[in-house]
Amino acid sequence: MLYVACIFAPFLGASIAGLLGLFGKISDRGAQIVTCGLMVLSAILAIPIFIEVALNGHPRVIEFFTWFDAGTFEASWGLKFDTLSAVMVLTVTLVSSAIHIYSIGYMAHDPHKQRFMAYLSLFTFFMLTLVTAPNFMQLFFGWEGVGLVSYLLIGFWFDRESANAASIKAFLVNRVGDFGFALGIMGVFLLFGSVEFSTVFAAAPDKVGMGLEFLDVNFDALTIVCILLFVGAMGKSAQFLLHTWLPDAMEGPTPVSALIHAATMVTAGVFMVARLSPMFEYAPDALMVVAVVGGTTAIFAATIGIVQNDIKRVIAYSTCSQLGYMFFALGVSAYPAAVFHLMTHAWFKALLFLGAGSVIHAVSEQQDMRHMGGLYKKIPVTYAMIWIGSLALAGVGIPGLFGFAGFYSKDVMLEAAWGAHTGVGQYAFWMGIAAAALTAFYSWRLIFLTFHGKPRMDEETKAHIHESPKVMTVPLMFLAIGAIFAGVIGYAMFVGEDMHAFWGDSILILPANNSIEAAHHSPLWVVLLPLIMGILGIALAFYLYMTRPDLPARIAARFRPVYLFLLNKWYFDELYDFLFVRPANALGRGLWKSGDGAVIDGVGPDGIAAASVAIARRASKLQSGYVYHYAFAMLIGVVALITWYLYARAA
Amino acid sequence: MTEMLREYLPILIFLGLAVGLSGVIVLASYILARQKPDSEKVSAYECGFDAFDDSRGQFDVRFYLVAILFIIFDLEVAFLFPWAITLGHIGMFGFWSMVVFLGILTIGFVYEWRKGALEWE
Amino acid sequence: MDSLTMMPALPEIFLAVAGMALLMFGVFQGDKSRHWMTWAVVACLVIAGAAVPQLADGRSLAFGGLFITDPFAVFMKELVLIGAVLALIMATGFNEREKIARFEFPILVLYATVGMLLMISANDLIALYVGIELQSLCLYVLAAFRRDTGRSSEAGLKYFVLGALSSGMLLYGASLIYGFAGTTRFDGLAEVLAGNDISLGLIVGIVFLIAGLAFKVSAVPFHMWTPDVYEGAPTPVTAFFASAPKMAAMALFIRVMIEPLGEAATDWRQIIVFISIASMLLGAFAAIWQTNIKRLLAYSSIGHMGYALIGLAAGTEEGVRGILVYLAIYLPMVIGTFACVMCMRRQGRMVEGIEDLAGIARTNPGMALALAIFMFSMAGIPPLAGFFGKLYIFLPAIESGLYTLAVIGVLSSVVGAFYYLRIVKLMYFDEASEAFDRPMGRELSLILVVTGVFTLFFFVSPEPLVGNAAAAAAALFGG
Repeated sequence: MLYVACIFAPFLGASIAGLLGLFGKISDRGAQIVTCGLMVLSAILAIPIFIEVALNGHPRVIEFFTWFDAGTFEASWGLKFDTLSAVMVLTVTLVSSAIHIYSIGYMAHDPHKQRFMAYLSLFTFFMLTLVTAPNFMQLFFGWEGVGLVSYLLIGFWFDRESANAASIKAFLVNRVGDFGFALGIMGVFLLFGSVEFSTVFAAAPDKVGMGLEFLDVNFDALTIVCILLFVGAMGKSAQFLLHTWLPDAMEGPTPVSALIHAATMVTAGVFMVARLSPMFEYAPDALMVVAVVGGTTAIFAATIGIVQNDIKRVIAYSTCSQLGYMFFALGVSAYPAAVFHLMTHAWFKALLFLGAGSVIHAVSEQQDMRHMGGLYKKIPVTYAMIWIGSLALAGVGIPGLFGFAGFYSKDVMLEAAWGAHTGVGQYAFWMGIAAAALTAFYSWRLIFLTFHGKPRMDEETKAHIHESPKVMTVPLMFLAIGAIFAGVIGYAMFVGEDMHAFWGDSILILPANNSIEAAHHSPLWVVLLPLIMGILGIALAFYLYMTRPDLPARIAARFRPVYLFLLNKWYFDELYDFLFVRPANALGRGLWKSGDGAVIDGVGPDGIAAASVAIARRASKLQSGYVYHYAFAMLIGVVALITWYLYARAA
Repeated sequence: MTEMLREYLPILIFLGLAVGLSGVIVLASYILARQKPDSEKVSAYECGFDAFDDSRGQFDVRFYLVAILFIIFDLEVAFLFPWAITLGHIGMFGFWSMVVFLGILTIGFVYEWRKGALEWE
Repeated sequence: MDSLTMMPALPEIFLAVAGMALLMFGVFQGDKSRHWMTWAVVACLVIAGAAVPQLADGRSLAFGGLFITDPFAVFMKELVLIGAVLALIMATGFNEREKIARFEFPILVLYATVGMLLMISANDLIALYVGIELQSLCLYVLAAFRRDTGRSSEAGLKYFVLGALSSGMLLYGASLIYGFAGTTRFDGLAEVLAGNDISLGLIVGIVFLIAGLAFKVSAVPFHMWTPDVYEGAPTPVTAFFASAPKMAAMALFIRVMIEPLGEAATDWRQIIVFISIASMLLGAFAAIWQTNIKRLLAYSSIGHMGYALIGLAAGTEEGVRGILVYLAIYLPMVIGTFACVMCMRRQGRMVEGIEDLAGIARTNPGMALALAIFMFSMAGIPPLAGFFGKLYIFLPAIESGLYTLAVIGVLSSVVGAFYYLRIVKLMYFDEASEAFDRPMGRELSLILVVTGVFTLFFFVSPEPLVGNAAAAAAALFGG
């Protein structure tokens, strides 16, 4: 009951706010109270669940009823609670609650509050069904549900063209990933004959080395399936090549960005790979792909982050980069480390986003950092919050004593990459180290540009600068507590000495791949290097943006091609535009004009439609209205049927 | 074959008798009675309208009501005859079946009565 | 075997007796009684609905084998009763507003329902005929219930004349069958057909029988009454026509074709295939040009019966299961649609033009949403309920090798989607005209919500319905 209520409370809230809102039967205030209340209730319920399932080690599966039962294909609705799910549920509900409450303040001037709150709750609900799925079908259900609501939320301001374009882009890019995911699920069914996690995981070891014939080439079946599933994760988690939707998703209201980036949507991919660890562990080649993609994303997104001017975009690329970290950790079998970072990241990334939202709120919806500056005196609370978030993001801390959340989780991932002692591990490690410096750099660049230096906004905006209301700052402080302490509290459980007891059966790591164990025995320089890089990054940012504010422009001018390359996000949008969008458009136009319009429409729809219309006209003429016509038709019908019957029998 | 035909012989005889008798009566009325026709006398009188006329002419619906009521009770009687004859064979079940049937008809009759279907004016 | 027990028929007997009692109450109390009469009848129907599954004990006979109950009958009876109850509830507000409320209305519905229950349980050609006539006579009166308007009277008269013709055909067929087979009992007929080569007279009889039954489900070419009657009859009556009698007639159709005539399946399959194709095509095409929503729904129901008959053409257990699922999904869908039609009221007057729906998404969003759900569902768009109905119909057809039938079915559903979606387009994208009257009435809102939610969320858990339908279908084949 507890378990069910925890998952379905947000759904209830979304239904009430959404349906009643549709008919105008609930006030703004009512919708906010209902959704926030139920969301907080869900978060409160998540705590005893976490204690029972994760800390006391009592995983459980609740089955509702069979969803599909067609032939050998069977799937049911249910809830699977093990440590992994419980961690996710706790993180999602807590962070989402903070975002819900924050939204009350942030969306105070929006006319569609009910709709917004309903979407937020629905989004959370889908994420919760995703993380508690006991089989691939429900996972896919939550997966698609999250995709759908993300579309609705990114395009929330439907009267803005850019928001519409961004929502469509997010949906389409996700669709590419989902296609892979769907193929992966089909592959799983083909290979295992079941989509239940328990069955599949139990059978995974036996499938090692099994082949899959495709186009006369024999592939390792498990590897193929895992890579296909990973493609789905890439789409949802905005990994390299499928990342392009994430920055554009900033078009949604800021709480949406926070929700998508912190605890929910983008982490679905990380969660999925961790959940499927019993499969991935037996597919080392697939793991290598994961690690390489993750490492590449980490450095790639970080390089873009250093030159962006939109405050939300900087944070968006940092998300992308941090997800890269998580994936390379997954790729070196350090699943606990990845989930650990997922959890800490949820706190400080939500904090950063909501803090950025608070800044934007203060400067009259301005998002460009070039038009900010000198804000720290005006909005001190927000300033402090961004500092805490950045410290956590950059992973600052004193080894052996205390550190912010990111310090523990990020370091353990890097050490695990080092400890894996493989080629890809080394690659990931060095990429991660480089990205760590860049992360610190762009974080402090953000702080300096936004809060320090000369104010660069116009007079009117300047007059209006104000600290956000309590309903926004209190959630920030709540998140800040998480950003400070989540790492130090979770370290022992997630990746430290209690690791095995904590995770139980929810994650499988083969003894040969135990990189976390190796991480604990890293040399000192490996431990210190990320921290040093971080401090170097901060120092560089200080030098460039505080002591010599004229330098960045000169550097940009000097290395103009590089600057433009980074500013335009490695030209990925342009590349995709050239590679896919425009050929697809051209192909579509060609098929539309000549193929569809002339050939198919002429003969097909238009011709058939014309014929249909003619037939329809005649058919309705049959209905003359005279009883004797009708009676005659019946008699003719009987005679015709008898004749035909006899004829058919004779033949 | 002839056996079967012989069974139908009484019907044939009845048929002949009926035709003959009606012929005789019609002929007799022509021959014996005085013929003084006028328009009222030669018109059909059965239910108040002409036998050969536009069928869309209006007439009083009460004729129909009476006719339908008559048919219902007519059928009831048609049912009652064979029932009365076989009552010895069908026992109590048969008896009560007919009582239920009559009861149902009575309910219909009460309904008509209350609705005023039996009042001419 | 020759038990004279009446236990299995207790719900029907109860309804009949209750109907007579209510009639007496009504006629003595006068027209005032109409206020409670509907609810009394609804209560009786609900009691019967609760009793039906209780009294059914596997397969049992009554009245010396004339009457049968089995899981199949129980399933179909529940559908009929649900349809009748919903139609009655819908009618209350409407009849009051239109000033045609009389206490006889619910009683007529009750007796029509008794007739349908009898049809479903018929195990003999005589019982079949009695059930059909009891049902039809009530329906004729209902069709002409608004007797002071020409359209309603015309509808009643047309229905009566054509209904009489079809009854005549059915009786003629039944007498031919009796003459050549020597029995009117279904099990007896099955034995006769199993043993011998089927004689010519029997075939003619079967065709006449099919013609009579096809009239009741309004399948082409015996459908001609449908559009006129649907249009002319008062809307709640039309809703009733489109729901419960269709269930009963289809149940009877299935039972007759599978149980006594099952052995002759290869002989009659061609006919059913023809009727099915003709119905689907006519339902799809003739509806395109309609301007009256009730006429459109009439053609839509013809089409839907065509789809349902696909399952019968397959003639397998899965096919019958498909029909049952299809009907069970069709019922709430069509009731909900008619509830929407009954909301179409401007300044106290009913409007029935399709054009009147233009732009109502802005003025009456709730109703527009509900109607859109029903239209999408009728067009068979996943994941709405209507899609599953079609799925469970087409699959067995393909398994039985009736590819042509399945392909034509899919194609005609594409054509049909045109006019369903046109309504959605009208509602959502055309310029708004005047809003419909508010409030639409509590009972209508309730029915809209219930049927809409069923249609929308059926996919969440199709298992219970499909499972029951499968059990019901198995009962028909298991013997």
